[in-house]
Amino acid sequence: MATAAATAPRTITERASRGIWRDALRRLLRNGPALVGLAFIGLFLFMALLAPFLTPYDPLAGVPQRVNAVPGPGTPGHLLGLDLLGRDELTRIVYGARISLIVSVGSMLMGLALGGTIGAIAGAAGGLTDNIMMRAVDVLLAIPGILLAIGVVTWLGRGLPQIMLAVAATNAPIFARILRGSLLANREQDYVVAARSIGASRIRILFRHLLPNSLTAVMVAGTLALATAIIDVAGLGFLGLGPADPRTAEWGTMLTDSTSYLRNAPYLIFFPGVAIVISAIGFNLLGDGLRESLDPRLKR
Amino acid sequence: MTLLQVDDLVVRFRTRDGTIHAVNGVTFDLEEGERLGLVGESGCGKSVTNLAIMRLLPRPAGHLEGGKVVFDGVDLARLSESDMRDIRGRDVAMIFQDPMTSLNPVLTIEEQMVETIRAHRKVTKDAARARAVELLTMVGIPRPASRLKDFPHQFSGGMRQRVMIAIALALEPKLLIADEPTTALDVTIQAQVLDLLMNLTTEQGTALILITHDLGVVAGMTQRINVMYAGFIVETASTPELFEAPSHPYTVGLLHSIPRIDAIEGEELVPIEGRPPDMRRAPSGCPFAPRCAWRLDVCWTDNPELRPVDPSARVVATGATATHRIACHNPPTAAERDAGRPLGDRYHPAPPPPGMLDELMSARVGASNGTGESPDGGPSDGGPYDGGPVGSDWPESASVSPAPSASGLPIDPTDGGARG
Repeated sequence: MATAAATAPRTITERASRGIWRDALRRLLRNGPALVGLAFIGLFLFMALLAPFLTPYDPLAGVPQRVNAVPGPGTPGHLLGLDLLGRDELTRIVYGARISLIVSVGSMLMGLALGGTIGAIAGAAGGLTDNIMMRAVDVLLAIPGILLAIGVVTWLGRGLPQIMLAVAATNAPIFARILRGSLLANREQDYVVAARSIGASRIRILFRHLLPNSLTAVMVAGTLALATAIIDVAGLGFLGLGPADPRTAEWGTMLTDSTSYLRNAPYLIFFPGVAIVISAIGFNLLGDGLRESLDPRLKR
Repeated sequence: MTLLQVDDLVVRFRTRDGTIHAVNGVTFDLEEGERLGLVGESGCGKSVTNLAIMRLLPRPAGHLEGGKVVFDGVDLARLSESDMRDIRGRDVAMIFQDPMTSLNPVLTIEEQMVETIRAHRKVTKDAARARAVELLTMVGIPRPASRLKDFPHQFSGGMRQRVMIAIALALEPKLLIADEPTTALDVTIQAQVLDLLMNLTTEQGTALILITHDLGVVAGMTQRINVMYAGFIVETASTPELFEAPSHPYTVGLLHSIPRIDAIEGEELVPIEGRPPDMRRAPSGCPFAPRCAWRLDVCWTDNPELRPVDPSARVVATGATATHRIACHNPPTAAERDAGRPLGDRYHPAPPPPGMLDELMSARVGASNGTGESPDGGPSDGGPYDGGPVGSDWPESASVSPAPSASGLPIDPTDGGARG
């Protein structure tokens, strides 16, 4: 009898959903554009994670073709045709997703670690520390992202880790700024004063109260950073600052390699371009959707 | 025994727009287990006084500029931050106005309660959890063990305030400061929460400072009341005495501006005209003078001290027998406090001295920045701060104007009632 009495009201509580995360997820799944974004990202992840199982071809090796007779899209066995070196275009796009995923996620995490630390210290310390750190961040923000990335890659040399670091360097100041702003905004909230009024220490307030409440803003920024990272990586590749091995299937590098043959094989530009656009749009849509579903002020 | 002695507390806020004189020398004592009400309108410094006691003034603007806060023999104003942290929660706790925002939205009630208990007491998680369940039961939350796992947004406002009370009382503090604890709550819940607060503090022998702008709330709950205005205590008395014989013009005004169940039928409400002074001006003279119908010439220049209403009385600072004291040069008579306005030939409040007029004007211009009100002329809706007398026909000399209604002061009950 005791259990019966306990279960009846309990289901009501549970139906009211537990936690802000579930609420946010529910709102996200009702958001059309965000679902489209999720679908794009799903396709992107599917290609990146399962690349070797999706195609029988080697993305790196092939038989060079004659410039005016490259087998185009629809060639039997090659849905998107071959490139000039006789490599299957679809295979290269699929493997390219892999590079994009690794570099964008890696650079996002590196940027988050770097920028998050700076932002957390600045936001928690305040005063002179805050001022010095934020002015440094301002300087970095004043430099256009792609220029900063080019600088880092030319300084450190070509290669995937270098590219990650370069893109991370463009994202870190943004993360720092967002986290600091969010910390400052939360610091004035009643619950922080309430926590102080019961004797919570500064460290405790920072880690238990401020950071968790600032997480949503950072999550949104992180998702959007993935989109810019994909574009930045492709941009670097297009400028010849891609992976160290020039054969690597990387979308930006594929674009550069094909520009000279635009007349003979325009699809070699078209498909990598579409891949870049779709994955970047996917993360942008998801980021916007997350912002809407996590922002309590936009609650519907 | 005296638990808390606040002595000449001065708090200033340094802002870009100038210095805010938030608390200007507040002195009061509190006995162990005593319940004190702190009453005044918004911005009168009642919350700031208590944030200063807790040393929780907003940084970097808020400064405790002077005075002592002796709690249990220790001057909190001079304590190091880490010692102060030990006292917060354990010896002094606070309940805030808005229960919807004073709990961390991303932590469960359990996490927040256990955290508080373990911050001050070396107990295991299980022991802290057991204590949390006990506390929730105490504040009347049904099914406390399962509700512990819930997040703040799953509680109603009244329930959240109960949780706040449970957290505040978790360590059986000696002093509980409740800053407008029921203002954000539904009227039907208010009484419940106040009863709970009353019962628990009585049971635990916790002293209570109840901050409110609602005289109805303090009436039933406190033994003593301090009335604050513009950062000063203008009247202090035991609760029955304050309601029986309010003696400061401001208190009289407050009591006449709220409807009373025992009012004589047809009695009009008398609003207090004007608005609180611009706190950026360093106080000179009585802060209430610009709105006061009883003011004398001296009120503009000399700020009266808190003195016993009965000059022969020996001053008792605390408890139910506390001496009734006011800071006023020209207190209303018994008949006047019943009427809520000056009677007989005491109709003519003194105009400000010539020099002060300019000062008031300039303060007014600064204060009305962006409100779209013109400082001279414009529709007058009240006292000197609202442009009426300043822009109209108030003589510059100190001679008394024979046209009292032009001053916009609450001398015509019908007029005042219509507006109130």
